[in-house]
Amino acid sequence: MSLVFKLRDVRKLRIAEGANFCLVVPQLDIAAGEKVALVGESGCGKSTLLDMLVMVLRPSSVNEFVFAPDGKVPLDVWLAWETSRWNVLSDLRKQYMGYVLQTGGLLPFLTVWDNINLSRQILSMPDDGTVRALAKTLGIRRQLNKLPGILSVGERQRVAIARALAHRPPIVLADEPTAAVDPVQAKKIMGVFLGLAEELGTTVIVASHNTQFVVQLGMRPVRQIFRPSKKKGVINSVFQG
Amino acid sequence: MSGFFHTIQLALRDYLHEWQMSLCFILALAAILAPMMVLFGLKFGVVSNMVDRLVQDPRNLEIRTVGSGNFRSDWFEDMRRRPDVAFVMPRTRTIAATMELYNRKARPAKIVSVELIPTGNGDPLLGRGTPRPSRLNEVVVSKRAAEKLQIGVGGELDGSLARVYAGRQERVHLPLKVLAVAEPGAFPREGAFVSLDLLVATEDFRDGRAVPELGWRGSSPDSERTFSGFRLYARSIYDVNALQNALVKQGLDVRSRQAEIELVQKLDRNLTVTFWVVALVAMIGFSLSLGASIWANVDRKRRELSVLRLVGFYTAGIVWFPVLQALFTAVFGWMLAVLIYVGVEQGLNRLFAEGLEAGAKLCRLLPQHYGIAIGITLGAALLASFLGGMRASRIEPAEGLREL
Repeated sequence: MSLVFKLRDVRKLRIAEGANFCLVVPQLDIAAGEKVALVGESGCGKSTLLDMLVMVLRPSSVNEFVFAPDGKVPLDVWLAWETSRWNVLSDLRKQYMGYVLQTGGLLPFLTVWDNINLSRQILSMPDDGTVRALAKTLGIRRQLNKLPGILSVGERQRVAIARALAHRPPIVLADEPTAAVDPVQAKKIMGVFLGLAEELGTTVIVASHNTQFVVQLGMRPVRQIFRPSKKKGVINSVFQG
Repeated sequence: MSGFFHTIQLALRDYLHEWQMSLCFILALAAILAPMMVLFGLKFGVVSNMVDRLVQDPRNLEIRTVGSGNFRSDWFEDMRRRPDVAFVMPRTRTIAATMELYNRKARPAKIVSVELIPTGNGDPLLGRGTPRPSRLNEVVVSKRAAEKLQIGVGGELDGSLARVYAGRQERVHLPLKVLAVAEPGAFPREGAFVSLDLLVATEDFRDGRAVPELGWRGSSPDSERTFSGFRLYARSIYDVNALQNALVKQGLDVRSRQAEIELVQKLDRNLTVTFWVVALVAMIGFSLSLGASIWANVDRKRRELSVLRLVGFYTAGIVWFPVLQALFTAVFGWMLAVLIYVGVEQGLNRLFAEGLEAGAKLCRLLPQHYGIAIGITLGAALLASFLGGMRASRIEPAEGLREL
């Protein structure tokens, strides 16, 4: 199976409250159609790794960071960052990726319908009923004309999932998409999400702090461990997958 | 839908969604722009009225000689060729340029002594539709003379001149037809506009020379005629000064209403400078205020801008987002300012209508002034928002997304 992501010795150094935190990814390969879960406790850098994978966060150093969305021509993401080709990264995101943010990340001035349709509109995709069908599957059809401000947290998450899937991207990333809802709702939402992803043959990368939960959902866990650094005052958070 | 129109649509929807904030920006702009427009409208209206008055009264274009001169025909030809000269006409000696007019048909018969004013095509003292006397028996009488003579257009008068010639008192009569009655402002005293030929004939008769065309006997006329003065009018009030200076250079002692014209021009210049200083300070203040607001707004909208980045917006789209919103503020603020201005303009013009001439306005703007106002406002908004736009483009999407 062809690799979508191939990361070798990717690092992101962050300074938080005086302590240096270094996210280290010695090796990470994600194949097309895989369901991968980045698992670890809060603050270990799951979201940071997702941000780097979705190309909205520049790594500090890289040995290899290759993205091959269609499995054919691999793109050197690090080179794009190095040469400030942000619009190239934008193109990759809008064509090949959907991203479900932890708290939805909906635009407050757009209705639910417009929020879901946003990624399709950017790609000039015509209205073929996808938005309505997704809304029906996710149980938010009656909310389509409402603004996100009046939706419940669970409903917002469903809208965010719908937006991430609406333009049928080959890869969907989700940052603890059910963290803000109760376990019953969480299971239901994730079930629908993975079901839709399966239906569309989408590669799914999810960040979660609950290993048991993602294993139950049939996802491959990529675990995080903390490792002491040779440098003083640096904490290494290592994802090995 | 192309990317830019999509950006416009999203920026507008966000702008309308945050209508309270947007309204504050619009009101802040209108609060600066409307008084500026009123100030300029007043300046323009007041100065325009003064300039109009100057322009409407042709006497402001006149340059008069002091004393008598000796002007030959070629001098008048030279003057006619100048682009700043609207009208020039020779004058004979003032003492010789009078005539007694009789209206024998009036009961009782009326007799008035009038000053003769040489006229011709382009005479600014006579209205456009007023016919010009071109023959020896045609006159246009002043309003005052017409009233005293009780005569109107088409009336017939008897012109009479007297002289002492060869030791004898002589008087000649000349039938005259009234072509028109001049406007009251054209000549405030008793006067008659006549052809140059009639004026010259009058002087010749008084000087004892023969006027064969009218059968008046006397000595032979001089071989070359000279004139003691002229009627000279500049093409516009802005030409008076240059024309006067040119005549002074010729050694002529001339008078004009240049001082009054200069006063208005100086007032215009001073008011313009004052206005632009005030406007500049106001626009700088507005630009800084709008710029600071947009800067803060970009910070406030980091999340939304980051989401737009995330879903694939290009850098240009992110820059345009706050810039477009600033332009919306500029357009809506300008519209509100125009509404306020029009209301104030109407109020001021009604309030001071009594002190103004019919049709005159104390406060007024031309259509191009509204265009200039929107142009400057858009320019200031663009300038102010550009930095905010650049700041927006530098936001790392991950930063904003973490705040969600």
